[in-house]
Amino acid sequence: MDFGLTETQELIRRSAREFLKDQSDSETIRSVASGNYDALENLWKKTIELGWPGLVIPEEFGGAGFSFGDLAVLLEELGATLAPVPIVESAITSWIIERYGSESIKSEILPQISSGDILLTPSIVERNGSWDTSSTTVAATKSGSNVVITGEKRFVAFAQQATHSLTTIRMDDGELALIAIPIWKAEGIHQTPVDHASGVPVSSITFNEVVVPEANIVATGEKAVKAIQELVSAGSVARAAQLAGLGRAVLDATVSYTTNREQFGRPVGTFQAVQHHLAEMAIAAKQVSHLAHSAAWSFSREGYSYERAAQAKIAASEKISALCWTAHQCHGAIGFTWEHDLHLYTRRALAWKTDYGDAGFHKSNLADTMGL
Amino acid sequence: MRFEFTAEESNFKRRLSAFLDNALPDDWRGPPDESRDDHWHLNQKIKRGLADQGWLVMSWPKKYGGSDSSPMMNTIFAEEMAYRRAPGHDRFGTRMFGPTLMRFGSEDQRIKYLGSIARGEIQWCQGYSEPNSGSDLASLQTKAIDDGDHFTVTGAKIWTSLAHRADMMFMLVRTDPNSAPHKGISLIMVDMKSPGVDIQPIINMAGVHSFNQVIFNEVRVPKENLVGDLNDGWRVGMTVLNFERSGIDYAAWARAALEELVDYVSAHDPIIETISSDPIIRRTLAELKTEIEAARLMCFDVAWRQGQGEVPSSEASMSKVVATEIYTKVLDYGVELLGMYGVLEPGSSQSKLEGRFLKMRLFYTSGPILAGTNEIQKNIIAQRGLGLPRK
Repeated sequence: MDFGLTETQELIRRSAREFLKDQSDSETIRSVASGNYDALENLWKKTIELGWPGLVIPEEFGGAGFSFGDLAVLLEELGATLAPVPIVESAITSWIIERYGSESIKSEILPQISSGDILLTPSIVERNGSWDTSSTTVAATKSGSNVVITGEKRFVAFAQQATHSLTTIRMDDGELALIAIPIWKAEGIHQTPVDHASGVPVSSITFNEVVVPEANIVATGEKAVKAIQELVSAGSVARAAQLAGLGRAVLDATVSYTTNREQFGRPVGTFQAVQHHLAEMAIAAKQVSHLAHSAAWSFSREGYSYERAAQAKIAASEKISALCWTAHQCHGAIGFTWEHDLHLYTRRALAWKTDYGDAGFHKSNLADTMGL
Repeated sequence: MRFEFTAEESNFKRRLSAFLDNALPDDWRGPPDESRDDHWHLNQKIKRGLADQGWLVMSWPKKYGGSDSSPMMNTIFAEEMAYRRAPGHDRFGTRMFGPTLMRFGSEDQRIKYLGSIARGEIQWCQGYSEPNSGSDLASLQTKAIDDGDHFTVTGAKIWTSLAHRADMMFMLVRTDPNSAPHKGISLIMVDMKSPGVDIQPIINMAGVHSFNQVIFNEVRVPKENLVGDLNDGWRVGMTVLNFERSGIDYAAWARAALEELVDYVSAHDPIIETISSDPIIRRTLAELKTEIEAARLMCFDVAWRQGQGEVPSSEASMSKVVATEIYTKVLDYGVELLGMYGVLEPGSSQSKLEGRFLKMRLFYTSGPILAGTNEIQKNIIAQRGLGLPRK
């Protein structure tokens, strides 16, 4: 085992920290959360220049060809700064297309993701709010060399910015499939934004007899089932890595606050009750980081470990939201205000907790792998 | 980053596992109870076998009986031994006192004692806690008076695990009663057969004789048995605790216990069939598995840091806290899962899993207490790890 960063990873961490320090500040995050997406689009353009959307895309398709483990290092930094950009959405969809797509779909889509011309976001969840894709109802009917899609997807992150959506559908023969659908100002597409605690744009998408070339199908049948499972797993690990970073940032802020805030003539951080809260937060942040990196490391071009992905998401979902509540307790009344940034982290942690399956969803699936 | 063992590490783990298949009785379930003579004999036999393989102290230098391996190998060794609930592992000698002697002992002391630890010849015990000095260890009162070529030791140590099986004790004594509490302490080695050493058994709440009170009544200890400088024992002794504080055994015990529970609920026993499909039980077992893996990674992180030349004090404390907590949590859940049968004592008729979970739950109440309570560990994490002010 080796818990050290590689040279590449050191470089990713250093440059991400430097960039995000100025670019993903409180003002930007609050502005995006209040529905002003100029700041988001500005930031997104800059991340494209840095090559982040294509980080795990192979070099032959214009990407950087880095590993999923490398991506996790970047995601920790994005989580720590609450950066309101669709890197996770872009990275996991490109990962799945590279793993499961045909040569033609790869060479069609991946270079455009690398260049920032295509922004692909997953749409998986439907009205029942479940990440169990066996209940997928969005219907696709074959029509010549096209498929015609009708139905509704919910909780699609960055749908308002995305050009395409990687969507789970049910074919007319009853099989599941995964398809890339152009959604940017496309005919038959209607978006309804929701006001989401994450502070980033989230919408539902209604497909009303949307005609999509059959060539956009990434996988069908058994292969699609595997691809969709891997997509949800990759999303889980990505969110876990972001949550690890978020937890670390909240811990650091709480250490700093309790070191400086004085009561009874001494810093509140000298009190054992407060110190123990902080020790527990430090443990949680470290555990989630280890589990997230272990899971991310397991993703390769050959496969991945669902067991590790589930463990990462279970721990991240439960421990980091709890860490945020403890941080509020340590901050006292000031952390209960709208002015203070702490609730931005808490809101994001709550949103990420549910994304790509909450703890209960993954515990249930993990129990299956344990033979229970 | 790499979250798997190297080929060499995996190979070693396989060889150790095969060795234990051979060395442990077919029906071995553990955990070892060293107050039982048959378990103690098995302990001695396995320890010698492990020593013959050169596995007891792999990370030590060759000249002291080791093989210059990384601390990772020691952790893999400890994990596998604990996972199998195998006896034969003198933690006091191999993990705590040996490394301390290497750092602070004289060359004569190293040659005399390290080889015998590596060969598994002598059993050590640790004399730190006293009846009036628990978490506040620096208040210890057992005194060692300078009597020319020897010290005369008088006082009492308590909660001394395996004192009744040990050949030697490394202990903290007060050598200067007039200076500040931390400044007047020394670390010495005492032969347990010395005249004036009186070992009084204490039976723990699980009904096991695992620890003792040890009374020292004017015990003569040669001056050559002083480790490190006179009155520098606090620093020397705390180093021991840094080596002691790894949670790997607890994480591995927890994994073994969880697997036993999963097997139990998966078995086709008409009484329990209803619980194996219960969604809450399934999710709880999955959650425990997650927590165990989280604790395990913390422990391997400690080993990795040691291999990088760090003394990961805060991380070691974290690993001790999480691993002892998850182990007691798994055992707690085991007792709960067995329902009415969970509270049957070992040896009782109608008991399930031989009453092991109740006994282990009671026995390992000690985990979050010993080697510095988990509350003390959290102080260390907050102050040394996070840099929070003391005052």
